[in-house]
Amino acid sequence: MAQCSGNDLTKEECENQEKCMKMIQAVLDGSATPEEIEHFKNNIEVCKPCVDGYELEKSIKESLKTKLNKVCCPQKTIEQLKVKIGIGLILIMGLVIKIKVIQELFV
Amino acid sequence: MHKRQQGMEFEEEEEELVESKPKYSEIEKYRIFDKEFMPHVDSMYNFAFRLTNDEDDANDLMQDTFMKAFRFINSFQEGTNSKAWLFRILKNSFINDYRKKSKEPSKVDYQEVETVYNSTEDAEYESTTDLRIEAVQDMIGDEVAMALNGLPVDFRTVIILCDIEGFTYEEMAKILDIPIGTVRSRLHRARNLLKEKLRSYAKSMGYKELR
Repeated sequence: MAQCSGNDLTKEECENQEKCMKMIQAVLDGSATPEEIEHFKNNIEVCKPCVDGYELEKSIKESLKTKLNKVCCPQKTIEQLKVKIGIGLILIMGLVIKIKVIQELFV
Repeated sequence: MHKRQQGMEFEEEEEELVESKPKYSEIEKYRIFDKEFMPHVDSMYNFAFRLTNDEDDANDLMQDTFMKAFRFINSFQEGTNSKAWLFRILKNSFINDYRKKSKEPSKVDYQEVETVYNSTEDAEYESTTDLRIEAVQDMIGDEVAMALNGLPVDFRTVIILCDIEGFTYEEMAKILDIPIGTVRSRLHRARNLLKEKLRSYAKSMGYKELR
């Protein structure tokens, strides 16, 4: 696709498959530059290996997104974390109270 | 980048974080933690689980990350991308701490990583196109998960960040501390390797190769 002239309707081979696939992946990932998007739009339909590559990449990306179970954090872990962070708060509060008591005693 | 060098940079980064001047009051710290960090708890656990492949290790890694995030909260600018910030800490914790005490260090096949990193661009692509879309569509989640888990951790990481968590290349570059060009290349290599794994499963399912 990278060197396609735009005149060929069906290119059976791509001279720049590696470069094209990186560009196609960037387009699918939503991280392509405006120039890459423009190039993709103008050339994707004329190069068969690129069309096939695009469809395969899209399919794999969708499978990863939809077929893999999203593992949720166990409630127990969240509670443990809150306790750990909460302990910090209790210690700080204790320290503040201690300082205030000392201040009241000596001021 | 060399692993040792990378590790040293992360350690230096943490030292810088420690030196940050306090800018949040104690109350603000808890408010930021609750509002900005806690909503990402499931994504963080999912990332930790996909990295470690072990529930207990994922629990430890996630808790360590959140504790570290709280400790270094003054380095976080409220209103910026907290998810990317947390993922960066988790990834660094995984490299600096978890890998050293991993129950199964042999899971990281550095030889495979090295081979793929050093392979030429043309050679990389050669064996990865013979995979049918129908085969991928017919695969169940377990097969996709096994293929993903079979990747060396550096490659698994970029696929998780991009395809599962939906980070942009720019965000991934910040999380992984590598240039965007390297993100693109690593992602491309990771996907070629994933296709190889998927192709093996497809073959075992009886799908004929494309070529």
